[in-house]
Amino acid sequence: MENPESSGDTRSGQLSPTSWCHPANKFHRFIALMFMCFLCFGSYFCYDTPGALADNFKDDAHLNTSQFALLYSIYSWPNVILCFIGGYLIDRYFGVRLGTVIYMTIVFIGAVVFAVGAYINAFWLMILGRFIFGIGGESLQVAVNNYVVLWFKGKELNMVFGLQLSFSRFGSTVNFWVMEPVYHWVGNYFGGYERLGAALFLASLTCLFSLICGLLLGWMDYRAEKILNRQEEAANKEPFHLKDVLHFKSIFWMVSVICVAYYLAIFPFIALGKLFFERKFDFIPQDANNVNSMVYFLSAALSPFFGILIDKTGRNVTWVIVSIVTTIGAHFMLAFTFFNPYIGVITLGISYSLLASGLWPLVAMIVPENQLGTAYGICQAVQNLGLATVIILAGMIVDKYGYLMLEMFFLGCLFVSLIAAVIIYIMDATSNGVLNLSPSVRDALKDEPNQIDETAHLLDHEDNTDHEETDSRPNDELQQSLTQRDVAQVQSDRIRSRYLSQILPNTNIPDRQ
Amino acid sequence: MFPSVIKTCIQTLFIVFLSQIVNGQDRKISYSFNPGCNACTEENNTLVYTKAEGSHDTIHQIWDFTAGAPTVILTVAGVNSTLNITWDGTVPRKFVFSETPKYSFAIAVDKLYEYDDLTDMGFIDERSPRRAVPLRRVAWRLTHDVRTDDEVMILMRGQLHEKTRTGTIDVKLDLLPFKDYAVELPHLIHTANSTLMDVSLVNLTKSPDFNASRFALRVILASVDASNDTMHYAVRKSLDDEHTPGVFEIIEIKSPASFADGDGGFLQFRPVAYTTPQRGVTTSTIVRVSPFNRTRIPEGSTLETFYWRADNSKLLVQDMLVSFGETGDGYYEKHNFTAWSFTVGYGAPPIEGFSVFVIAIICCGLGAPVALAASGAAYALLRRRRAAPPRTRFVDDE
Repeated sequence: MENPESSGDTRSGQLSPTSWCHPANKFHRFIALMFMCFLCFGSYFCYDTPGALADNFKDDAHLNTSQFALLYSIYSWPNVILCFIGGYLIDRYFGVRLGTVIYMTIVFIGAVVFAVGAYINAFWLMILGRFIFGIGGESLQVAVNNYVVLWFKGKELNMVFGLQLSFSRFGSTVNFWVMEPVYHWVGNYFGGYERLGAALFLASLTCLFSLICGLLLGWMDYRAEKILNRQEEAANKEPFHLKDVLHFKSIFWMVSVICVAYYLAIFPFIALGKLFFERKFDFIPQDANNVNSMVYFLSAALSPFFGILIDKTGRNVTWVIVSIVTTIGAHFMLAFTFFNPYIGVITLGISYSLLASGLWPLVAMIVPENQLGTAYGICQAVQNLGLATVIILAGMIVDKYGYLMLEMFFLGCLFVSLIAAVIIYIMDATSNGVLNLSPSVRDALKDEPNQIDETAHLLDHEDNTDHEETDSRPNDELQQSLTQRDVAQVQSDRIRSRYLSQILPNTNIPDRQ
Repeated sequence: MFPSVIKTCIQTLFIVFLSQIVNGQDRKISYSFNPGCNACTEENNTLVYTKAEGSHDTIHQIWDFTAGAPTVILTVAGVNSTLNITWDGTVPRKFVFSETPKYSFAIAVDKLYEYDDLTDMGFIDERSPRRAVPLRRVAWRLTHDVRTDDEVMILMRGQLHEKTRTGTIDVKLDLLPFKDYAVELPHLIHTANSTLMDVSLVNLTKSPDFNASRFALRVILASVDASNDTMHYAVRKSLDDEHTPGVFEIIEIKSPASFADGDGGFLQFRPVAYTTPQRGVTTSTIVRVSPFNRTRIPEGSTLETFYWRADNSKLLVQDMLVSFGETGDGYYEKHNFTAWSFTVGYGAPPIEGFSVFVIAIICCGLGAPVALAASGAAYALLRRRRAAPPRTRFVDDE
């Protein structure tokens, strides 16, 4: 995939690049960016509609918490596998434009089927709807990331990624803010489960809106391709290689443990949180949704600052441990006190963004670049698998043993991730690793002639030999292998960003040379 | 490091476990059905007398259905006190204790109200149109019972037989000699000092002219306290909803003596009722209690027989209405079933504690990472210290 700028000299359009209609124009790209932002808005909005209407699902559709949790769980199931092949399908078969429209249509159909299921009070149909929604949801994010890379590579890429992802999280936040009033308004015309169904129909309109954005963006992209003479690189090499798994260091698996166990204490909590705030703290539904939305809202707002903080201070492992400990504190407060839950949830939101900023760059330091795609793919798959199974478990816990036990379960998960973080710290300290150094020390290490790069001694031997082989090749061959590596790295970057997009409200991809 | 943490955990668990046992088995219970009544058949005229002997006092309980309204009377007297009941046919006429009782507290579920919930609020107030169904006309039949040294339980079924109304009221009364959680939701705490009462309203016919029919129970509370005093109503918040998932409130109603020094009668329940016989979180509904009303003991009731000698200025009698349902639930007719549990007892209402499981998680969860961090740090330090010198030597050799 090339970016519009680099092929600018071959453009043959009659438009002047200074015109705002020209794809290379800043304003033009800004419009495209708006569409990209709204592309994911619908799917993020609809992902959390059950959470925002949790009590209505209980009262109108008579779901118990386990059934309710299944609505969330079923979303994760297809994504255990699709996170590996969603991007591949786009590259090989659909292309980014068709792919986006296809995935967005799937998302829209899923949301509509879900609403129909609620409208006729058929639980199986609701589940089916969420399943379809899940098929489209995460793959859509891949497609949007492709668009972002396509339009902004070499320009404001990281900033645009960040903006687009913050906007997606904003979709969840807005959902928590507006669904309750929407449900009340719909109450003027419908009652019972039909009311719930009608409210969900209205929610699914956000997906229709996103679909329209997708179509417009597709048209813009088609036009840009013609004007800029952009050529799609056919059939890129998929950077996912399962055999890479064998070479991953145990420290990577510890990071995976954190990325499963820690997020288990966040996402299911938000999914099941509304009723918790209503019942334990006597919040009215709208207030409960407002508290619940704080986690996403704060992480969207704070992540850029934490990104800078981590960039300046380094010591990622310490930050990860700190954020896990404060998360434990937040859950403790929610479980064992009647303090205003805003305190607990705000602490939770802050720690959550801090963890995201500290944890994800770790993977890039542990895993060699050419295996990064695989590494992030694995993280995403195990996380989806964890969410898929554990959300159901969490629902059953609430039904059988109540919210205190649910909090105990979350604390248990956090303790597991704390142990994993401490183990990472120990492993890193005993092997004189770089993970927990300050940036200046890391730079100093990088400058030492014996070090190939900052991650050198963490890499497998094979990679080092790879480097040496490259050096011994004749010049043109070297050039060629470098290009291949570049392509692989772009692919790697994309997989990484699309994964990060799901957990991070804002990317903090460390700049790598 | 590890073994010591585990040891601490096990010790804590053991202490908790032990303290639960010690607290638990504090009374010895005995029982008799219709004691001294020759004309009674157990099935149709049920009065159960239970006696829970403790080290300092004895709690005598009378569970009575002979006069229609389900009644529970608790009386506290000396350790060796006894109760003698004289009968007139199948009706108890006199309750005579071998010594003057220290205290007595009683409740009776006296009436059932059907009310038209015009504003769909889920509770009865003075404006609600209503019809009363006095329970003194209900014929009760014993359908099931447990009589062991570890539990006394009766299940009574009352059939409503009126011109325009039929239906069933099931009442369960259960006494355990130790502290435990009830088997069924809402898993209230039983103690040797209290009895669990569970009331189910099954298939009650609604009045055709009421569009929004709900039911409420009138509960009479009586205690030997100053008659110008009042019962105390309090909603307590609990952190622990382990036994009643999703319900964090506990409602406690204390008699003046219990309120002052924990030496009187109390009612304790969770503000939750269930709309299907299979109780679960989805079928739960809200229970609301009206303010207390001063009243008199109903005529012809067992309470009247029991307290006939009591000085009126020293007998506090109040009633309250307990209503079930919440906005938008489709009223009683949606499920035609409502079940509500409460405990009635003597002393201070029991306080639920964190379960062993919760304590174990906190203990191990906090202990393990700290232990790991400490041992890890120690290990890392040791290793660095040991590893450093040889490397230097190696460089020197070169």
